[in-house]
Amino acid sequence: MAKEMVLSGCAASAQAAKMAKVEVICSYPIRPYTALMMELAKMVANGELDAEFIYGEGEHAQLSVVLGASAAGARVLTGSSGVGVTYAFETYSPIAGGRVPVQMMIADRALDPPGDFGSEHTDAMSCRDQGWLMGWAENPQEAFDNCLINYRVGEDHRVLLPQFVCQDGYFVSHIPGKVLLPDQSQVDEFLPPYTLPHPLDPKHPVSHGPQIRPDQGTIMDLQRAQAHLDAPAVIKEAIADFNRIFGRDYSPFVEEYMTDDAEMAFFIMGAHTMTARHAIKHLRSQGVKIGLVKLRFVRPWPTQEVAEALSKFKAVGVVETSTSYGGAMRGGNLLHEVRASLYDLPKRPLTTSFMAGLGGEMVPLKEFYYMADILSEMIKDGKAKKTVYWVGFEAEA
Amino acid sequence: MASKVKQITVWARGVVQDKEGRDIANGLANAAKKEGKFTQAFDNYVDLPDRVNVPLRKYARISDEEIEERYEYENEKPEVVIVADATLVKGINVLRGMEKGGVLVVNTDRKPEDILKFIPNRDLLKAIVCVDAKGICGEATVDFSGSEGGVDAVGLGAGMAAPILGALVRGTNLVKLENLAAVVKNKEALYKGHEQAVVKTL
Repeated sequence: MAKEMVLSGCAASAQAAKMAKVEVICSYPIRPYTALMMELAKMVANGELDAEFIYGEGEHAQLSVVLGASAAGARVLTGSSGVGVTYAFETYSPIAGGRVPVQMMIADRALDPPGDFGSEHTDAMSCRDQGWLMGWAENPQEAFDNCLINYRVGEDHRVLLPQFVCQDGYFVSHIPGKVLLPDQSQVDEFLPPYTLPHPLDPKHPVSHGPQIRPDQGTIMDLQRAQAHLDAPAVIKEAIADFNRIFGRDYSPFVEEYMTDDAEMAFFIMGAHTMTARHAIKHLRSQGVKIGLVKLRFVRPWPTQEVAEALSKFKAVGVVETSTSYGGAMRGGNLLHEVRASLYDLPKRPLTTSFMAGLGGEMVPLKEFYYMADILSEMIKDGKAKKTVYWVGFEAEA
Repeated sequence: MASKVKQITVWARGVVQDKEGRDIANGLANAAKKEGKFTQAFDNYVDLPDRVNVPLRKYARISDEEIEERYEYENEKPEVVIVADATLVKGINVLRGMEKGGVLVVNTDRKPEDILKFIPNRDLLKAIVCVDAKGICGEATVDFSGSEGGVDAVGLGAGMAAPILGALVRGTNLVKLENLAAVVKNKEALYKGHEQAVVKTL
């Protein structure tokens, strides 16, 4: 029987990795993801988990260790936060290009300067184009579930891609919430043992990651791109199986809340979705026709699903928790992809970008009310006055 | 934050009382959960990573309805404040944000009158509860397994959190003593704290 526990996101991720029977773990401490490794280290020390636990001398080493272990056929886990994520940046392309499905749990953290350990999606989002799968958890339960779902998808031989399994630092990683721990038999049914088509093996020598000629490069890039074209079908299968085995109700790519008759919506991912839902509930009671669309995978970006979900609204507010300094429209990263997804629609909603929760600042209910007011105004005016609002820092706020 | 959510703030000393402070918040939330309440308990993230003896805040929230402000990470209006080390009241406005009619619980071997001298905004209080938790069960438990979102490995309320929680019941009706007894390890210290607490109504 599934067991209900109250766990932080970090502790939930550790439980998921244990039930996934992870074989090699490489750690290096940085807040706020640290407790993932604290928990796994305890499990290994107590004999609850039979895994190699290796202390890296930095994040670059962490990723290099798990790359080697995964290439040799072990299911692996590493993780980091903030500047730790960016310190390992060099390794991300070789891991994805080598089609080695390592999993990295990121409890996100604002990048310096100055030293800020608050949550912000910018650390992971800066790495989004290297070929990894990527998505955010809203709560500790999703942190648990996403670990299993990502192993299943990333290790599938039709995909073979590494995974950034992200959760908002502190909000999800530290604040405990209800987590249903399934039976081991359920996890075993969902997640087959890890195999790699051509693992490093002294008895059957193969080369991984050799130097190549420039004319050999494109085909490898194309294959990596193709894996992201093939991944959505595998994600759909995995989510369907997950829902059946664990009794959940996940959509593969986007989840909608109160969108049936909505004129406007928030487009959002991660922790603050929960607060947005409460804000919508209260706004609805005042007659405001608002809903939300939550993104579950940033990579592969679900172009079609985003377009379909957002096409029915008059106005969409993209709630960003990451920065894209000097980028198109000057908002966060999500607005670029949302607008690109909508471009081919005959009738597009008005869109704007809300910069909220940067640096780990709270996004309380009243900030969502403010954003809803802007969306109402956009519908009334028939246009967006601005393409980006820094919530809490606008003159009219 | 909606007024229906009761906010409880615990002040403790860094490292040496990190676990005790967390145990008080967790003990309270766990006991309230047994009474069918919606609860939250968590560390103040920005007070950590802690250094020895720096002031730390731990929070608990108790509500009859779902807590909508799950991700608001500070208690802005605590109605109960618990101070795990009495010397904290000298340098810090521990009642910050409290509205009139709150309760203060202090771990001290002094009398309520002596502690109140150091509380300039004491008019906010309807009661103060003093308990000599250290006298009841000795020094704090030092264990770091539950810090930074980790899972506590040694159990809740083995140290002076237990008598402090016992004393809390004397000045508030947040939770029942028997429900605290069901969640803390050192039940004897819990009951002693409850018996020996000195309550002064203001």
